[in-house]
Amino acid sequence: MLGTQPCEARTPQVPHTGTSPPAPRELRAVGGQGRAVAAGGGRRSGAAPEPLGGAPRAGAALPRISPASYRAWPGRTELGKPGRAGPCCLRAAGGESRPSPKELEELELLNRALEKALRVRKSISKTPLEAQVALAEKPTGEGSAFENASEQQVPVSGRDVPVSREARAVSKKPASMKKPSPYQLRAPYRTDPDVKKTQRRAPARCVSQGPRTAGKSSSKGAVSRQGKSHRPASSASDQGVCAATELQNAPGSSKSALKEQQSSIRDSSGEGNLVAAGRQLIDAGKKSCGSHGESSRKENPTAEGGSTSPRTVTIQQQGCQLKLPHPYRKAYSRNCRAWERSRLCQTSADAAAARKRFTERIQTTFCSPMPALSPVEIEEELKVLQDIPSLLSQYVEAEPADHPTLQREYESLLTLEGLQSTVSQCLRKLQLLQAAVESQKRLHPDCTGDVGSCCPACVPARGRACGGAGTLAVPLLWYSSFQELRDLFALKLQVSMLHQEIALQKLTMTELLPVLESEACPEASAAQLYRAIYTQLCEGGKRFPVLVRDELAD
Amino acid sequence: MVRKGPGSAAGRAGAMPGGRALPGAVGALCRAMPPRARLVPEGLRRAKLDRPQATLDFWRLLYALLKQIHGGKWSEADAIDTQIRFVKLALWYQGYGRPELYRLPSDGSAGSRELLLAFSWLLHRISLLEQLLARNRVRTGDETSVCMCEDDLSQSEQGTTEIAPEYGPEDRVDVRYLQWLNGRLRFQWRSLHAQHQEQCKLLHKIHLLTSGSHVDQILGHFSVTEMDLIRQTENYKQLVQLLERETMQLEAFLEWKQLEPVYWQWMETVLDNMAEEGNMCKPQDAHIEKSSLPKVTSCCPWADSLTGQINKLSRDLMALRDQLHELVTHRKSAWEEKPAERRRLISLQRQFPAGPCEPVLLRVRGLGKEATSEMLELGDEAKSLGAHVKDDREGSPRALVVPSNEAVKCQIKIGWEINVTKTHLKGKS
Repeated sequence: MLGTQPCEARTPQVPHTGTSPPAPRELRAVGGQGRAVAAGGGRRSGAAPEPLGGAPRAGAALPRISPASYRAWPGRTELGKPGRAGPCCLRAAGGESRPSPKELEELELLNRALEKALRVRKSISKTPLEAQVALAEKPTGEGSAFENASEQQVPVSGRDVPVSREARAVSKKPASMKKPSPYQLRAPYRTDPDVKKTQRRAPARCVSQGPRTAGKSSSKGAVSRQGKSHRPASSASDQGVCAATELQNAPGSSKSALKEQQSSIRDSSGEGNLVAAGRQLIDAGKKSCGSHGESSRKENPTAEGGSTSPRTVTIQQQGCQLKLPHPYRKAYSRNCRAWERSRLCQTSADAAAARKRFTERIQTTFCSPMPALSPVEIEEELKVLQDIPSLLSQYVEAEPADHPTLQREYESLLTLEGLQSTVSQCLRKLQLLQAAVESQKRLHPDCTGDVGSCCPACVPARGRACGGAGTLAVPLLWYSSFQELRDLFALKLQVSMLHQEIALQKLTMTELLPVLESEACPEASAAQLYRAIYTQLCEGGKRFPVLVRDELAD
Repeated sequence: MVRKGPGSAAGRAGAMPGGRALPGAVGALCRAMPPRARLVPEGLRRAKLDRPQATLDFWRLLYALLKQIHGGKWSEADAIDTQIRFVKLALWYQGYGRPELYRLPSDGSAGSRELLLAFSWLLHRISLLEQLLARNRVRTGDETSVCMCEDDLSQSEQGTTEIAPEYGPEDRVDVRYLQWLNGRLRFQWRSLHAQHQEQCKLLHKIHLLTSGSHVDQILGHFSVTEMDLIRQTENYKQLVQLLERETMQLEAFLEWKQLEPVYWQWMETVLDNMAEEGNMCKPQDAHIEKSSLPKVTSCCPWADSLTGQINKLSRDLMALRDQLHELVTHRKSAWEEKPAERRRLISLQRQFPAGPCEPVLLRVRGLGKEATSEMLELGDEAKSLGAHVKDDREGSPRALVVPSNEAVKCQIKIGWEINVTKTHLKGKS
């Protein structure tokens, strides 16, 4: 009997206090345990049911619970635990339905600290921004109004935000027992409805530029810096605001709208092909859009920019009104015109004839059995031939073994025969090149010094020689969308990487394979060696095979 | 008509036509040269007269120009014999074949006329001026190259940033070190990729948001440099100066293009002079260090590397050739087994490329008179396209009239050998 009671009493689901008399010792023991547990639970951030069990009956436990749980609140709430224990604790702690002012204060402090952290983070990214804005405006000679306005780029609507946030914070505090600071943080990101309203209030699209209203868009992720209220100013500037306003809608715009804008860029770009091996990157889309600074184009980057949008928006706000300094502009246009004229300039007939005469005459004085190809020409021919074997093999592989119709079979046969003749042509050409190399070698100016020093100078580095010899035209590379530009960069990098991989692969093959053959390593590590070399050579160093030792049990 | 213009180089070499224009041409040429490799008109004139004092300057000039062409690094402090060696190699590389040049002494004491000739040859041969202008172009825009040429790692002059650990023949390098290096390399590539993407994004932003602001309407937007220029104008004064200088260079180039013929004529007079003096010069040069013995074959790494490449390519191609040979023989024998008439038909079909054409008349010659209509079956489609058999008077099929190539491509089953002659039908069939 007695034995059972403690058992019963020990079960946590037995909270009733009525079990006291029959086994006070045991219960006390239980209570003690419970207390111990409660204390432990209080200290632990996770509140276990045990304290509940112990709480109602152990008045002694109570004081331990409430301060402990109180202190643990931020921690517990930070963990995002809905705090089952919370309300229960509260109730247990005396049924307080409202948090004490002290608690409110502490929560307020916590929220402020988090805000500040957010602010600091944003301000770091913003200070160069503001400086740039200030500088950018100097050359354009904008009045101070702009400067003020631009400074307030955030607080324009930022004022709304903290206010509402404050309000929310306060009002939500009781409820925030459940929903802690993460919820608080969410408020500024929610782009308050009233802020959105101010944005939409001035959807006017006009040519004049209003940099300050752009600040509203940044409110999405931004926090007010000074909390100055410039709402009247901002609403005044709402009129006559340019496309910039539309910018603000961008962050709030849905993905579909964004896509629509993006595609509009692409459509308007017309020919968005990559024209030629390029030197300069140009945006084709702007051709059609002219200089009116259409909003759609501007909206894109802010939407795309994501977290960097607050920073670039203010510069780019004035993007369409930025002007290059006058001396540069003059020099640039003169330079441009000179290049154009040079490009169009052609060698006159007289000059061409005169050149020809001179060159022929001087070539008669060259060494008499002059090889047909100069070294540079030999190299160029070889470069062309480099890819031929692999290309031809691909064609050969592409020919199927079976053909549905006789017609196809015949055509396949003809293709193969054509490939055969191409191969023999290439082989003949290679022989010619070899002969040319030999003859050029004979003419090679002797290096009086040692061979070693000769080597680097021997073959002058090609540099960018392959770009096209002496053409004065500068091909423009047009791209029509951001994706294209990204792909260009990514693919170029990938090509270089692959070139390097090929070279490394060749090198590792020549270096590592002999090691395997030399068999100079102890048996135990041989397996690892094989594995490592296999991975390096066959899997590109990415995947490691699993080696299984197959031991036959005797 | 002889006109002696001021400062004309006619002088001793005799009068030449266009004496007035020559200084203009030479002056323009000199001004069109890049700034780091300047040439003075006086130097050219002295070189024509083969003055030894002009030699060193000319070597240096050629050195600077050729280094710029080949994209290498150089400085004016390089030793003269290094410079001379390089110039000779570069000229050989471009295919310059005057032995006199290669015999010039390595201390730069003589030979300015030879150098003048070489310089003019280069001017024409590799469009020296144009190349220099293009390479030294002031870059104000965002540029990228889409050249897919592989950088030849084996010939790279740059040293490795990380020195491989020294180890002697006894030491072993753990293969895990290789793996680690490989991992590091891959990581570097990935971070490079991320940075490129970031750069790309910012670039795009600038382009997009500054559209419409540029002076140049075609470009329309700013580049990164120009963006920075706006922010920090004082840093870019030099850029403006460079642009102006380049503009002057281009204008000189245009002038040169106008006056070119005069220069080339002048160069021919140089050749004339040399031809006159020719026989006297050669024996003198014979004693110069350069011997005419056949070169030691081991001395040319260039030839060796090229030979290596050629051999490798030949090997691959020969393997391919054997493979193809086998394949083709196999296929051919399979083809020969097919019925002859089908084969003929198909080769017949190939003679007629697709497309509109005139109606053709195929003469069908059967084996004597046994050819009957049944042997000449026309598919429905062919019939629908107008193919029909024209019988001769005795009713034996003698002609297959095919109004268009399309019909030929249709299934025409022909039971006999066909001698095909294409005869254009006059008028309708």
